[in-house]
Amino acid sequence: MTSTDEFRARARAWLEQNAKPFDEAADYDLEGTAVPLEESKRFQKALWEAGFAGITWPEEYGGQGLGPAELIAFSEEAADFELPTGPFTIGLGMPGPTILELGTEEQKKRYLPPLLKGEEIWCQLFSEPSAGSDVASLQTTATRTETGWIINGQKVWTSGAQHSDYGAIIARTDPSVPKHSGITMFIVDMSHPGVTVRPLVVATGHAPFNEVFFDDVEVSDDAVIGRVGEGWAAAVVMLRHERVTIGTGTRARSNPLGFDSLLELARARGLNDDPAVRRRLALLYARESALGAYGRVLHEESMAGVPIGARGSAAKLAGAEQALWAADLAQDLLGADLALGGADLERVVMAVVAAPGNAVAGGTNEIQRNIIGERVLGLAKDPGVDRNTPYNKLKLSR
Amino acid sequence: MSLIFTDDQKSLAQTVKRFVADRSPMPRVREVIGGEHAYDAEVWSRLAGDLGLAGLIIPEEYGGAGATHADLSAALRELGAGLVPSPLLACVLTAGALLALDDEPAKHDLLPRLAEGGLVGALAVSEPGERHWIPGTPATTATGSGDAVTLSGTKIAVLNGAEAGVLLVQATGPGGAALYLVEGDAAGLTVSRDAGVDPTRSTATVTFDGTPARPLAGDAAAALDRVADLANLAIAAEQSGAMLACLTMTTEYAKVRYTFGQPIGAYQGVKHKLADMYNRWALSDAALREATRAADEEPAKLGAAAAAARALTSSGYLTSAKETMLLHGGIGFTWEHDAHFYYKNAIAGNVLAGDGDYQLDRLADKLGV
Repeated sequence: MTSTDEFRARARAWLEQNAKPFDEAADYDLEGTAVPLEESKRFQKALWEAGFAGITWPEEYGGQGLGPAELIAFSEEAADFELPTGPFTIGLGMPGPTILELGTEEQKKRYLPPLLKGEEIWCQLFSEPSAGSDVASLQTTATRTETGWIINGQKVWTSGAQHSDYGAIIARTDPSVPKHSGITMFIVDMSHPGVTVRPLVVATGHAPFNEVFFDDVEVSDDAVIGRVGEGWAAAVVMLRHERVTIGTGTRARSNPLGFDSLLELARARGLNDDPAVRRRLALLYARESALGAYGRVLHEESMAGVPIGARGSAAKLAGAEQALWAADLAQDLLGADLALGGADLERVVMAVVAAPGNAVAGGTNEIQRNIIGERVLGLAKDPGVDRNTPYNKLKLSR
Repeated sequence: MSLIFTDDQKSLAQTVKRFVADRSPMPRVREVIGGEHAYDAEVWSRLAGDLGLAGLIIPEEYGGAGATHADLSAALRELGAGLVPSPLLACVLTAGALLALDDEPAKHDLLPRLAEGGLVGALAVSEPGERHWIPGTPATTATGSGDAVTLSGTKIAVLNGAEAGVLLVQATGPGGAALYLVEGDAAGLTVSRDAGVDPTRSTATVTFDGTPARPLAGDAAAALDRVADLANLAIAAEQSGAMLACLTMTTEYAKVRYTFGQPIGAYQGVKHKLADMYNRWALSDAALREATRAADEEPAKLGAAAAAARALTSSGYLTSAKETMLLHGGIGFTWEHDAHFYYKNAIAGNVLAGDGDYQLDRLADKLGV
């Protein structure tokens, strides 16, 4: 037995003792409220004490100092269980690795161990109401003071802000240079009185995200992650970790717009003998299984050492298109009953309403197409007419 | 087995790709289809013999290489990318039908000759006025018994019917629909090559008028069901290769064609269409990999996986070939440009061995919808 096999066996044994088995039929926890926060913190602490938190992080910052093989082994075993670690996903996946990569020795010692031990929760503060696809045009400012900086502005689409102790924020520190050059990343204390968190209710009626307002929020000089004016590079580092976080996600819940669900719906409604419906269900299956096969191809290639590069965008785009396509089919199966609603249809109707979200969250379909065109196919970059213009001379949405 | 190519499969694909570039580049394809023969006999003999493609998936006991469907699909992608006219598909289907039957004498007689490429086989199933490419009860009839069986009727869209040394013909005999073996030079056989839309593929209308035939032992319906899967695998492989060729050709053009001071690929109107072409190819190709994996190691899933792959590649290739013409602008609509050959190949390939609705009906059947 190799040391990785031993690690895997130890992880399996611990998970069987301490975690609930994965329940495919359970609903998505849309607002992150299914598990009490205290239970999540307790579980994360137990995970760390057992040696399964920060598997690849250095020991001096609370990590286990192991390699990617152990991380993969743990992820594979963990996929069979419900891990109530949702509140720590952002911190461990994005700000944590970014601080590890770019942070000062003091920052690493101060912030990484409490994160691993489940004592402090983090959020990521990038998107703004007027800066979505073009995040680098952000308008939140950080103005120099004698001892640090004062932050003013608004962030949006912030997961977990209501629970967070700290946030990683990017703000404009120099408006006189082109937009990518005048940004700095800071650690911000979310308990500062100038920080206001408001739930953001989306089309489904749920509030999975927040808006966060900054009103004269002071941060000190040692809150800068990386260097002043190099916040865009730090953001790119963090987004690279975000893609890894999303790409290595856990097992999927049963999908109300998947082939199995819609076949059941068609049968329940006596439509499965209709030739046109049969063909659309068959095509749904073909598309869905191709999407699954493409994911496996990318996974196998990355395991074989072939870089995935920007092809993750192809999978992301295909998944978003698939959700919209399946939502159209579900609507046609439901017909007029869609308008009537009713408890037995709530799950599928909610999925239809939620479908467009897939084509926006984590980069719109248009942005994914730009990425595929430029980074997979090597087409000329979008001209980016604002690339060399000082930020304070740009036309911006207000 | 995995979904990604082994080193051997990569090497086979490279070999076939180099062969296509050397021996059957598009200017040569144009010469061939402008001539009187359906394909270049020299190219076919090398593909079949030197590269061993005709016998690739025929078991060794019948003179083949006993390779996998994934191996064959690696080669077919390259032939599809180059629109190489050849009777390979017809021969693969003929061999597949024979292998699924129980007629050992016919297998031992025909399969080794098919494997070395000396014999071209064709499968005659479709009939005029019948929407399904495999009729349930063919109008073509077989009468007589023993050594005195004869066929009467008409078969259409017979792939390489005009070049075939033997035909496997589906006909209704005394015991129902069965498969019969007809020699290419049999009496009462009339073969007339079609003027189809796709000049890279040769099909024929074949009439039988008291034509001598030999009944083949075995379950014809099961054998033809197997043939439908093999056709879906092979056509999907050719189409995946052709889709990638269209994408590559159009991407290169979008990098060198300038309008309004920029390469056209910089504009989202063009870039996004190319991104969609990429995704159509990537997903179709992944579906094909899953289908060949099923063929090689999980036969119970082959029917659904092959129909699913075919449903995606045929419609996807048609869209991509059309976009290839459109994104090339005026030049893409000229005879001089190659785009129209891909478009025609896609149009014909979309309905070959069962159209889109047929594939989706077949998939729904296999899935128990």
